Amino acid sequence: MKIVIIGNGPAAVAAAEAARELDGDCGITMISKEAVPFYSPCPLAEYVEASVPRAHLFLRDGRFYRDRDITTLFGRPATAIDTEARQVTVGGGAGATLVAYDRLFIAAGARAVMPPIPGLADTPGVFALKTLADADGIVARLAAARRAVVIGSGFIGLEAAQALVRRGLAVTVVEALGQVLPQMLDAEMAALVETRLRDHGVAVRLNSPAQAVLGGQAGVAAVRAGGREISCDLVVCAAGVRPDLSLLAGSGIATATGILANEFMETSQPDVYAAGDIVEALDRQGKHRVLPIWPNAVNGGRIAGGNMVAARTRSYRGLDGINVVRIFDLPVVSFGSSTGERSLRYAGNGILKKLSLAGGKVVGAQFFGDVNATGLYHGLMNKGVDVGSFESELLSPGFGYGRLVPRPPLPIRRAA
Amino acid sequence: MEKAIFTFIEKCVACKGCEIACAVEHSQAKSLFGAIAESPRPRPRVRVENAGAYSYPARCLHCEDAACIAACPMGAMTRNAVTNAVYVDESKCIGCWMCVMVCPFGGVSADPVAKKAHKCDRCPDRTARGEDPACVAACPTRAMIYATPEELAAHRRQATAMSAAGMAAARIAGNVDLWRSQKGGMRK
Repeated sequence: MKIVIIGNGPAAVAAAEAARELDGDCGITMISKEAVPFYSPCPLAEYVEASVPRAHLFLRDGRFYRDRDITTLFGRPATAIDTEARQVTVGGGAGATLVAYDRLFIAAGARAVMPPIPGLADTPGVFALKTLADADGIVARLAAARRAVVIGSGFIGLEAAQALVRRGLAVTVVEALGQVLPQMLDAEMAALVETRLRDHGVAVRLNSPAQAVLGGQAGVAAVRAGGREISCDLVVCAAGVRPDLSLLAGSGIATATGILANEFMETSQPDVYAAGDIVEALDRQGKHRVLPIWPNAVNGGRIAGGNMVAARTRSYRGLDGINVVRIFDLPVVSFGSSTGERSLRYAGNGILKKLSLAGGKVVGAQFFGDVNATGLYHGLMNKGVDVGSFESELLSPGFGYGRLVPRPPLPIRRAA
Repeated sequence: MEKAIFTFIEKCVACKGCEIACAVEHSQAKSLFGAIAESPRPRPRVRVENAGAYSYPARCLHCEDAACIAACPMGAMTRNAVTNAVYVDESKCIGCWMCVMVCPFGGVSADPVAKKAHKCDRCPDRTARGEDPACVAACPTRAMIYATPEELAAHRRQATAMSAAGMAAARIAGNVDLWRSQKGGMRK
């Protein structure tokens, strides 16, 4: 059996590992447009910041692929999928290669959104922060850069801003909406984050959609946002990520925002699976969503990898919608809804925690400054635990898993 | 099967001896007075938590299918091939707290000073010497034992038999239970 994997990120590697573990004989081919071994995109901002060395980004080396007998076609993108003939086209033009598959796993990931504003696409000194090449580009430009503009205040934007500040640049973050981290936090939490950014020297301009990148072939000179020009010599565009569906044209694979997949990570086409940042799969509530976070990619990859070897032997309990970001070392986490029937609060020592409840259950949380036990609350939501009987204890500092442990009834002892 | 730490929740008297022993074991000095003098002061990886009328020494459960390992984007959360324990490779951890975010037991915490994920490693130095993990060894009521599932089953059978025979060990446990029920009664 020939398994072909498009991608070389966490979902792709997890699928390859799972498939190889179950079947020592199947052929596995991995195709990636990037020429480097599997690396983690999560610490790219830390790499720019110089707190993580480049070598630590790589989670596997060439030996990994050799030891598992994985054929690697790295450095050229998959450009087309023919689900009738069951083959993938790699590269373009006369040098294109056709790779036949029995099972296909698409984990081609997401690409950075580059808004269609003048100068953004073609001015030197403008970068996304999605790939190692992006990060290398930023690092190479740092020596000559004094002022930077970050477009977008999602978590990649804020991580980039922090990294650039720590490399000595004057940084302005421009955000189209009225608060930072608009996808992640409510206005009250966002205000705390904004204050922390300003305290560390980041200029934050809200309600300031980027309108143009000014400069020429010599490089970027300024960004116009919200009607104001901000001069700079480096721009990081962090306007979000989207599934990269470019190679799916004509394949017949059903898509919405991402590739639609069911709980087995199967797509609409037989023997074609998908996971990772490219997929739009079921979340815990059974809704199709694009949730591009590392744990979803790894878990989805494991499910698909197992099912490619033995169909429908593994199913996904649902993607998680949760994320954590650090704002100059203070952690911030959010999941679920910020509006429940009621909200519990804990505030003190620079910490603010809010837990949303509905129908006696946890439906969401936002924590600023202390993220310990986040997974416990997230687990309460995922399992639908009725927290009514210990609701008042939920945010008290002593609350923990102990409160949920099944425990024996208190012994009743009669007097002798 | 490999050994794991099992908890008898009804025996925990919340003395927090396990917390101290854990912090000392994970200190540089490996002694109580040395640990107190260290900066940053070593933090325990077990925490005695309120469990209603009981208390519970909470720590990492070293899950078979560990969410923290899948979630770690640095390859820092690792399983020890010998002991099967899940531990943090601090040279790789960047303190992104993805593991803290996904652990449904609160078994991984954020060390804000070291900026490293902080969790039970089941005392690899001690177990390599054939000793119990520090928390287990320190527990005065044997609320935790370090055993294989088979040994745990044997232990329970023996405890039941001794209890039925009214033997000494059961009486000691009975005193603990009495203390515990009084505490529970006061709290209610």
